[in-house]
Amino acid sequence: MAYPFQLGLQDATSPIMEELLHFHDHTLMIVFLISSLVLYIISLMLTTKLTHTSTMDAQEVETVWTILPAIILILIALPSLRILYMMDEINNPSLTVKTMGHQWYWSYEYTDYEDLNFDSYMIPTQELKPGELRLLEVDNRVVLPMEMTIRMLISSEDVLHSWAVPSLGLKTDAIPGRLNQTTLMATRPGLYYGQCSEICGSNHSFMPIVLEMVPLSYFETWSALMV
Amino acid sequence: MLSQIIGQTKEHPALIPFFLFIGAGGTGAAMYVLHLALFNPDISWDRKNNPEFWNKLGPNDQYKFYLVNVDYSKLKKGGPDF
Repeated sequence: MAYPFQLGLQDATSPIMEELLHFHDHTLMIVFLISSLVLYIISLMLTTKLTHTSTMDAQEVETVWTILPAIILILIALPSLRILYMMDEINNPSLTVKTMGHQWYWSYEYTDYEDLNFDSYMIPTQELKPGELRLLEVDNRVVLPMEMTIRMLISSEDVLHSWAVPSLGLKTDAIPGRLNQTTLMATRPGLYYGQCSEICGSNHSFMPIVLEMVPLSYFETWSALMV
Repeated sequence: MLSQIIGQTKEHPALIPFFLFIGAGGTGAAMYVLHLALFNPDISWDRKNNPEFWNKLGPNDQYKFYLVNVDYSKLKKGGPDF
C-alpha cells in the first residue's frame, strides 16, 4: 500500500511489476540526466560574457543533437515494447475470478469450483479499528492463492469503473457491456490495496480493492467457509 | 520530393541523420501496418477461398508480432475439436 511521503512506485508483488519498476528506473535516470544537462547548459548561457549573436550555420552540433535523442528514444522504446508484449502472454491460469463494478462497491464471483458471490464495501472511517487504513479497508477482502496465475474477468453493472492494484501492476477498466480480462500472479503473501481508477460518481474515491494473497490451503479453507 | 530532400542535404549535411531516422521510422510504421494487414487472423482478404480464417487458428502458430517468453511450439490446444 502507499505510505506517507512516498516518491516512487510501490514494491512489486508480481513479475510484471518488477519489470515495470526496472523500466521506470531506467527511464527516470535518462530523464534526470537530460534535465540536469539542460539546466547546466542554461546556467552556462546565463553566466557568460562570450556571446555570438549572428550564428547562421552549425552543422556539427545539429548532427549530434539529432542522432543522440533518436538513440535515447530507441533505448526507451525497446524495453517498453518488450514489457508490453510480456503483459499479453498466454500463461494458463489455474483459477478464474469475476469482478463487477457497481456504484459504489465491487462484487466478486468465484464460480470455478463452487458458487461463491460477495460484495466488497469500504469500511467507513467511523467504524475503523485501530491500525486499519482510512479509505482503503473493505469488509470482505478478495482472498486469492499466491504463486498461482489467476484470470480476472472485469466488467461493470452500471457506469465505468477501473479495477486497479498498483503493487501488482494491474489496472483494467470495468466497462458496462464489455468483459475485460487480466492475469494476476502474486509472488508473496500479504495484503495489497488498490482504489477504483475511473470516475464513477460521488463515491468514486470510496470503493477500494483489497487482495489478500494466502497459501493455497488457506484459500481452499476460506472459500469453503464463505459459500 | 526526393530531389528536394537531396537538394536540402547538399546545403545542410546535418540533415542526413534526420532524414535517415524519419525514413526508418516511417518505413517501420508502414511495414508494421502491412504485417498486420497480411498476417493478422482478424482480416480476410479473399472471401471466397479463405472466408473465416479466424475459425482455423492452431495452438502452435504465432500470431503476435514479437514473443518474449512463450514458446508456441510447446502449447497444446485447450478446447474441443470441431
